[in-house]
Amino acid sequence: MLSVDVIASSLASGFLLGGILALIALGLSVALGVMRLVNLAHGELLICGAYLSSFLMAATGMDPLAGLLVVGAVMALVALPLQRLLIAPLAGKGMEAPMMTMFGLSIIVQNLLQLAFSADTRTLEAPYTARPVSLGPITVPQVYLIGFVLSVLIVGAVHLLVAHTSFGRALRASSADQEAAAVMGVDVRKVHAWTFALGAACAAMGGVLIGTAFSFTPSTGGSYLLISFAIVVLGGVGHILGTLVAGVAMGLLQSVGAVVFGDGYRDLVGLVLFLLVLALRPEGIARAGKTG
Amino acid sequence: MTVRNLDLAAAAPPRPMSRLIAPAALLALALATPLLSDYALEIGFRLLILLTLAEAWNLLAGYGGLVSLGTASFVGVGAYVLTGAVNQFGWPYWAAIAAGGCVAALLALGVSKAVFRLRGLYFTVATLALAEALRLFMVNHQGFGGATGLFLAVDPPGLRHLFWIALSLVVITTAVMSVATGSRFSILLRAVRDDEDAAAQIGVRPFRIKLAVFMLASFLMGLAGATQGLKLGAVEPYGMFGVQWTVNVLSVVIIGGQGLRAGPAVGAVFVVALSEALADYPALHIAITGLIMILVIRYAPRGLVGLARTRGQRMAPLS
Repeated sequence: MLSVDVIASSLASGFLLGGILALIALGLSVALGVMRLVNLAHGELLICGAYLSSFLMAATGMDPLAGLLVVGAVMALVALPLQRLLIAPLAGKGMEAPMMTMFGLSIIVQNLLQLAFSADTRTLEAPYTARPVSLGPITVPQVYLIGFVLSVLIVGAVHLLVAHTSFGRALRASSADQEAAAVMGVDVRKVHAWTFALGAACAAMGGVLIGTAFSFTPSTGGSYLLISFAIVVLGGVGHILGTLVAGVAMGLLQSVGAVVFGDGYRDLVGLVLFLLVLALRPEGIARAGKTG
Repeated sequence: MTVRNLDLAAAAPPRPMSRLIAPAALLALALATPLLSDYALEIGFRLLILLTLAEAWNLLAGYGGLVSLGTASFVGVGAYVLTGAVNQFGWPYWAAIAAGGCVAALLALGVSKAVFRLRGLYFTVATLALAEALRLFMVNHQGFGGATGLFLAVDPPGLRHLFWIALSLVVITTAVMSVATGSRFSILLRAVRDDEDAAAQIGVRPFRIKLAVFMLASFLMGLAGATQGLKLGAVEPYGMFGVQWTVNVLSVVIIGGQGLRAGPAVGAVFVVALSEALADYPALHIAITGLIMILVIRYAPRGLVGLARTRGQRMAPLS
């Protein structure tokens, strides 16, 4: 029989990790909502963020979380030409061509990372990664708490960006009706480019947080892609607060799954949940489903 | 009626000559089997399995518009069912392979409600999730050998025998494809692919059509997976449910030509030749495959076959 302490701590961990998952899913959600892009390379963007952070640490000795925004900015700058080179020329050719292109990119990146860094498991070490923090019966690694707070802050910042800036207005307009937005003077191509960059930055920053809390290899991106999709489906495409709530719910459910069935079942619970939601309550994404 | 006639005209049935190419090639391969070296049989087996999978995927994606990233689920299920049927019940190979196909089709039926609920690309993501979920389940669940997998209790048949089995799979697949792409079913399928609502308006039931093609393709994939399992003599979740199957099949059809009858064959030869050329550099090989895929999607959306066809038409505009 498991003790109350273990269960409470496990649920708290799940709750906190859910915040990080929400940040990752948000990147996928904006690309899907605004560009109608099913970004199958999202997981690799995340892993690239983690490797970039580990490179930054080795080169400058910078703390991974202090370098969080640097990693996000660098990935956004890498993503801009990538979008122009790969996605922009496929505009107007349906959703399948860009999706398959991103799938091609994902296997390229995965294997190049493996060639460059080998398939070894890595972690981003920092003084707070192993240090626990306690509240009553709950004990969680400090890094989970920090990761949660940072994720919620970034998600909040993205919300402010989308809801209260002129870029956000253009983004929302392009998302609702691309042609109408273009007619009204919105540079839809530019909006798409920066949306992709925003999505890549969210993924990369999520990757740094994942790297400090867990470990990563060149091929771990795929499972984060799928978990992100499950969260997007649960929370609704382009719905920022919904994504946050769904992320936390996913984190909690994964922890419940890990407590009940064993740690190996953590990701499986998320995937089965995703398929169940699709079968039973797909309303959360009904709008995007129709346009797709 | 007019709608159907229009569709038939658009279908442009293949010329009688080109219809004979596939049977002639298969016959030639069958006759040549005793002459082939072990290396040729090995490569040939891989080519034939890949061709079966690619034909099935092409039926699903090219003709049905259902782009699946779940190939590995059905390959894996086929291989595990074969192993189970042989080990537990002592079934002969052919019955165990057939069982692999049938259970794969049943899996497709079972998940159809989830994967078809939303249109378009959610099918793609849902099938990817299915493959990953099955792989994680097989790794963690101890009932089917867990991460180490299962061994076939009897010795697998010889290479030449396996080649024959793979060849018969391709014959079955070719027959299925001829019926599925040359009959009334193909018209219904294309109607659903091109406009589900319009198809429903004129009395087609999209769910049934999609389910039928999904089960048919999964059946073929299950057969191919079972045959692969038989050859290996052992199954384990990382290999049989691995994303590599999905990548290979996808690249074959995209490079060959999606929705074109000759696409999978041309693509399979290309992909197997490339994998042989880069056999010593597995990671580089996959990265290059990805690059070729991206280039083909961008510059030759109908693959090598489509490219050759447009070239041919340009040179002889009257033919």
